[in-house]
Amino acid sequence: MKKRNLLLASLLTALSTAALAEGKVVVYNWSEYIPDGVLKQFTEETGIKVEYSTYESNEVMYAKLQLQKGKGYDIIVPSTYYIAKMSQEGLLKPIDRKQLTHFKNLNNSLLNKPYDPGNQYSVPYLWGSTGIAYNADVIPEGSITRWADLWDPKWKGQLLLTDDVREVFHMALKINGHSANSSDPKEIGQAYEKLKTLMPNVLVFNSDAPREPYMAGDVNLGMIWNGEAVMAQQEMPNIRYVYPEEGTIFWVDSFAIPSGSENTAEAHKFIDFMLRPEIAKQCSQEVGYATPNRAGMKLLDEKTRNNKTIFPDSSVFETGEFQSSVGDALKLYNDYWEKLKTGH
Amino acid sequence: MLRTACVHLRSPLFSRTLIAITLSWLGIFVLTPHLLVMMTSVLTPDTTNFAVWPLTFEAYTRLWEPLYATVFLDSLYLSVTATLFCLLLGYPFAYLLSRLGPVWRNVLLFLMIVPFWTNSLIRTYALKLLMGNRGLFNDLLMGLGLIDSPIQMLYSGFAVTFGLVYILFPFMVLPLISSFDNLDKTLLEAARDLGASAAQRFWRIIVPLTMPGIIAGCLIVFLPAMGMFYVADLLGGARNLLLGNLIKNQFLVMRDWPFGSALSVTLILMMFLMLAVYARANRRIQRKGGLDDANFA
Repeated sequence: MKKRNLLLASLLTALSTAALAEGKVVVYNWSEYIPDGVLKQFTEETGIKVEYSTYESNEVMYAKLQLQKGKGYDIIVPSTYYIAKMSQEGLLKPIDRKQLTHFKNLNNSLLNKPYDPGNQYSVPYLWGSTGIAYNADVIPEGSITRWADLWDPKWKGQLLLTDDVREVFHMALKINGHSANSSDPKEIGQAYEKLKTLMPNVLVFNSDAPREPYMAGDVNLGMIWNGEAVMAQQEMPNIRYVYPEEGTIFWVDSFAIPSGSENTAEAHKFIDFMLRPEIAKQCSQEVGYATPNRAGMKLLDEKTRNNKTIFPDSSVFETGEFQSSVGDALKLYNDYWEKLKTGH
Repeated sequence: MLRTACVHLRSPLFSRTLIAITLSWLGIFVLTPHLLVMMTSVLTPDTTNFAVWPLTFEAYTRLWEPLYATVFLDSLYLSVTATLFCLLLGYPFAYLLSRLGPVWRNVLLFLMIVPFWTNSLIRTYALKLLMGNRGLFNDLLMGLGLIDSPIQMLYSGFAVTFGLVYILFPFMVLPLISSFDNLDKTLLEAARDLGASAAQRFWRIIVPLTMPGIIAGCLIVFLPAMGMFYVADLLGGARNLLLGNLIKNQFLVMRDWPFGSALSVTLILMMFLMLAVYARANRRIQRKGGLDDANFA
């Protein structure tokens, strides 16, 4: 069930319940990002109630946290560049490593990154990629290999883009040969000009459940997150996932504790629970993204571990780029983004 | 029992308490938020504190940027179309209802209201399923052999208009029904006796006399239509189609509260403007021989 636009409702619940905090943890997460059974198991084992609400973009989550001065939630799951931004702005609480008995399970290559040196504020949950999806029933197999293929005029009014400013700009920056984490106003401006020419091809923006328009047959080509592609393939095997030649988008979403959290101990218990190998495995398998949990990865069945959509070949990493903070340039991105979405 | 209740109603203390409660409710939940919005609209945007001193009218000057003019025109176009369709469908429907016996009338009214018990967001999702390329509408059209391949209905202006009409239809019908109920049938008989044709009776008697209902219905449909961002998000493909989308984005994505507030204030001003038009139209109709007591004196 999608929760898009129930923002106000979830905000109100969060506000009204924050006052009576006892034995509970308020989780604010991306939509469809934790299997239901996992939350239930957590409550059964620890007696801690989970209050759960969802968002579909970093911006919305950030705006709400900022508005409430970091109060109202105990767990949030920002992407890397928002971890950097929010920790600088004092919106995150340092994480007490001593309370996390399973931290050692994590893959070192995803720890201690520039966006959060020493992982003071964040614990990686899942990582994944944003690439291209197409329906091989309609579009010839192998005909789509690059981001630039989306610019073909024959797709007029047919594409899906994720409703995410950084991901959409990533495409244009890469086509222009720039870093997807550029903070150079000139490069961002050029990317905007490039994207303007893509807009006539765009039918819909969706970051709620981008697989659904593909499955409903409304869209046959566009951007998608790898996990959504994996979920779609379970029902529609002919959905193809492409790592674009110019370079795919890699991202990491991490658990963090907002500065105003009133259930810090419960929040740590929640994170520690999520770091258990078998839980990490279950999340990765059901949600379709890669787990940074080495112990959890060993438990994955062979089919999942060999699924190139979830765990790409090393060659993909050579061109692809992990999202990182762009600092104050984010405002510039957002200004251009608004213009694009208004269609001009 | 009834007697004591009547006494209570008449007692000054009771009525004063009632008025005080109503006024404070309006003050706290209607007036204060609006004042806050108006104040925010003249502050300076700030990404961390949302709105700070000093006072500035920059948000209002930004309204004139061509970028927003297009959103405004798109929004206007979609809302006007939706309002017209509501009227075209609602007018005959309301007329029919007013001519029916009480039983059928209540049944039809009930059927119109029933969907309202379901959240409009959920109904919008349902529309999305119906309008998809493999949805019921396309299946039906293809089954009937009217089209060979699915028509792209979803994520278009058409889909948004359809959604708006569907959701706002009862708001058009209800004021119209009361207008038709107030319509004095003897006037129509008199017109017929005096030789007016059916068309003349319609245009010169029925339409002018139901004008208050038409205008009220149009206002109640038009303004919400401009702001229903979730309809445009779900059925229009999440582009900035309606003013409501733009406002929502100012608050949630751009974090430019003053500008978002300025847009909201603009919507409110438009409503005032239209209410003023409505009041004037109403006065003119009554002067020309409406249902006002003065005309029967």
